[in-house]
Amino acid sequence: MILAMFRVMALALWRDRGALVMTFLLPPLVFLIFSAVFAGATGEDVKLKLAIADDARTPASRRLADALLRDPDLRAERTVPDAGARVRALVKAGRADAGLIIRADPAASGSPIIVVSDPSRAVAAPLTMARAQQVLARDMPDILLARTLVETAPAVGGFTRRQTAAAAAAMNSLAEGRAVAVGPSLFVREDISGARKGGGAIAYYAGAVSILFALFSAMTGALSLIDERHSGIADRILAGTRGMGPVVTGKFLFLIAQGVVQAMAIFATAELIYGVPVLGHIAPWLITTIAASTCAAGLALGIVAFCKTRDQGQMLSTFIILILAAVGGSMVPRFLMPPWLQMAGWATPHAWTIEAYQSILWRDAGLSAVYPAWAVLLAIGLAGLLLAHLATRLVR
Amino acid sequence: MIDRPILNVWGAEHRYGTRKVLRGVDLAVRPGEIYALLGPNGAGKSTLVGAICGRFKLTGGEVALDGLDPFVSPLARARLGLAPQEIALYGHMTVRENLEVFGRLSGVTRRDLGASVERALRLTLTSDREHVLVRHLSGGYRRRVNIAAAILHQPRLLILDEPTVGVDIDAREALDAVIRNLRDTGAAVLIVTHDLDQASVLADRVGFLREGRKILEGAPRALIEQAFGQEMEILVQLENEPDIDGQGILAAERLERREGNFWSRFDTSGYQAAAKLDRRLRSLGMTPREIRVRAPSLQNLFSLVADWRRAA
Repeated sequence: MILAMFRVMALALWRDRGALVMTFLLPPLVFLIFSAVFAGATGEDVKLKLAIADDARTPASRRLADALLRDPDLRAERTVPDAGARVRALVKAGRADAGLIIRADPAASGSPIIVVSDPSRAVAAPLTMARAQQVLARDMPDILLARTLVETAPAVGGFTRRQTAAAAAAMNSLAEGRAVAVGPSLFVREDISGARKGGGAIAYYAGAVSILFALFSAMTGALSLIDERHSGIADRILAGTRGMGPVVTGKFLFLIAQGVVQAMAIFATAELIYGVPVLGHIAPWLITTIAASTCAAGLALGIVAFCKTRDQGQMLSTFIILILAAVGGSMVPRFLMPPWLQMAGWATPHAWTIEAYQSILWRDAGLSAVYPAWAVLLAIGLAGLLLAHLATRLVR
Repeated sequence: MIDRPILNVWGAEHRYGTRKVLRGVDLAVRPGEIYALLGPNGAGKSTLVGAICGRFKLTGGEVALDGLDPFVSPLARARLGLAPQEIALYGHMTVRENLEVFGRLSGVTRRDLGASVERALRLTLTSDREHVLVRHLSGGYRRRVNIAAAILHQPRLLILDEPTVGVDIDAREALDAVIRNLRDTGAAVLIVTHDLDQASVLADRVGFLREGRKILEGAPRALIEQAFGQEMEILVQLENEPDIDGQGILAAERLERREGNFWSRFDTSGYQAAAKLDRRLRSLGMTPREIRVRAPSLQNLFSLVADWRRAA
C-alpha cells in the first residue's frame, strides 16, 4: 500500500516534464552559479578594478603608477583626466572597485597615497593596500628603503655622512636592479591538507543548495496531500480500512528518495566540475543525504498536513523555505552573519546539513563530528512525519 | 426470502455546534437493492453518508454495516466502497494504474489485484479505456472509472455520491447500466443524488430527506401511485408570459407555475382534460405553444410532499 502511493508520486513527477526539470536540472544549475560566484570570492581570484591618478607627478610617483598599471593581479586604469577628483567620481559611480591617488612623492615621509573605497565594497580597500605594498616591495625597493631611512633617522639620532652615502648607493643599486630587494618573507604559507582553492566554498554551496532544493521539492510534493483532500481521493481512502496512514508514509518515502536523487545530481556536478571528493566519502555522504532528505520530507509533510487549502500551503511553504534558507546559510555563508544570527542558524536544518557536508567533504572530520547533525536531521524528519499522521487522523 | 440489511441506521442525529443537521433518520439497505437518498442541499445527505463511512461519530443514534460500527471497526469499513461526488482519481495516471493503486489502498492483495482490476473494468464497461490517462477521458468514462475504483475490494455496500454530475444523456444510460450490473452482483447500492429522474429509473426504493428528517420512503412507482392515484400531469407551455388577468385565468383552471413559462395541473381524465384545456385557453386568447400529458414523477411527488409539509 505504501509502495502504491510511492508509485503515484513517482508517476506524477515522471509525467510532468516541467517538474522534472525543476527537480533535477535546476538544482545543479543553481549550484554551479553559486559556486562560480563564491568559489572566486576567497580573495585570490579577485581582480580589483582600480582607478589610479598621479597628482604628485614626480619620477617616483610615475614609477609607482606605471608598476600598478602593469600588475597582472589588478585591472588598473589611469583616469582621464589624471586627477584625484576623477578617481573619487569613478568609485562613487561604482565604475571602479577602489581608487588610488598618489598625492605626494612616495619616498617622502607621511602618507603620500590615498586609497578611495566604497564602504559597500569594504574588502576592496585592504586588497588595494596589500597589492600596492606588494608592488612597492617588488618593483620599487629603493623607494621603500628611502622611506625606511626617512622614518628611522629620528629614532637613531640621524645618519653619518658615510652611512648616508652607503644608503644612497644601496638605493641606486636597488633602483637599477643590481641588488636583491628583499630577503626571505616573514611569512610562509601552508594550505590545509588536501585542500583546493575554493573547495570549502564549493562543498559549502553543494550542501546549501542541496538542502534548499530538497525542502523546496518536498514542499511541492507534499502539497498533493491537499489536492487529494479536495479531489475526494482522501474521502475515498478514509472510507476504507487503512485510512491515510499508508498514503502519508508512501509520500514520505518518495520525498526522501527524490531528495537523495536530487542531491546526487548536485554532488555529481560538484565532483565532476570542482573535484569535490564525494566518491571518496560515499558512505557518510549517503547517510548525510538521507538524513537531510528525511528532514525535508518530514518537515514538508508536517507543515502541509495542517494547511486547509493549496494557497495556504503554498504561501506558508514559500515563507518557511525562504526564512530557513536565509537564516540557515543557504543564501549567504553563515560566517558572514552576525553572531546572534549564526546562533539562530542552528535552529534550521540548513545549518546542520551544510555543517555535516563540510565536515565530511572539506574538513575530513571523523564520523563523530557528524553524528549530532544526523541525529538532529532525522529527529526533525520523523517528528514531521508524526505530525502529518496526526493531522490526517484529525481530518478523518 | 428477504436478505438482512447490510446497512442499518437507527435514529441518526447529528449537530454541528448548535445546528441540528440530522433529526432521527432511520435507514436500511439490503443486498441487491438500489436505494436512492434524495433531498435538496442542506437536507443532511452528506452528513449521513459521512457517518455511514465512519468519518465521525453521530451525536445520536447508531450506524451498523453488517452489524459493525464503521466509526470504530475497520472490518465494517472493509465492506464499504465510496465513489465520491468529485472525480477522486489521479489524472496523470491511466485507468488501470488508478485501479491498481486504489485496489492496493483498499486492501486488495498483490496476488488478487489483477483479477480485481479486470472485474472492475468489466463491470463498469471501461475495459476499452484501461490504458488511457484519466485526464484524457470523457466525463461519462471518468464517472464510471470513479465507480470502478470503489468496487475493487468487492464491497457489500457501494455508496455513489451524485454519480450523474457532469454526465450527458448517452453517458448516463451507460452509467445506469453499470449501476444495475453492480446491483446484480448482490451488492447494496446507496445513491445520493439530486437527480430524481435517475432515482425513478434506477432505484428499488427512494428516501427523501428534508431538513434532517426522512419525510418519505418507498418504491418510486408505489409512492407515486399512492400520492397521485390515476392522475396524470398536464403540462402547458404558453407562447407569452401571461399578464395579471391571464394569471387569474390560469389559476381558475388550477394550473400552477413550474419552470419558466410552464404551467401544470393533475387530472384523472388525462388527454380529454388536456384537449378541453387547450380549447379553453385558445378561446381566452392564451395560445399554448405545447401541451403535454405525462405520468407523475418523483419530482412531482417531492414538490407535493414539500408543499404538504410547508402547509403543515
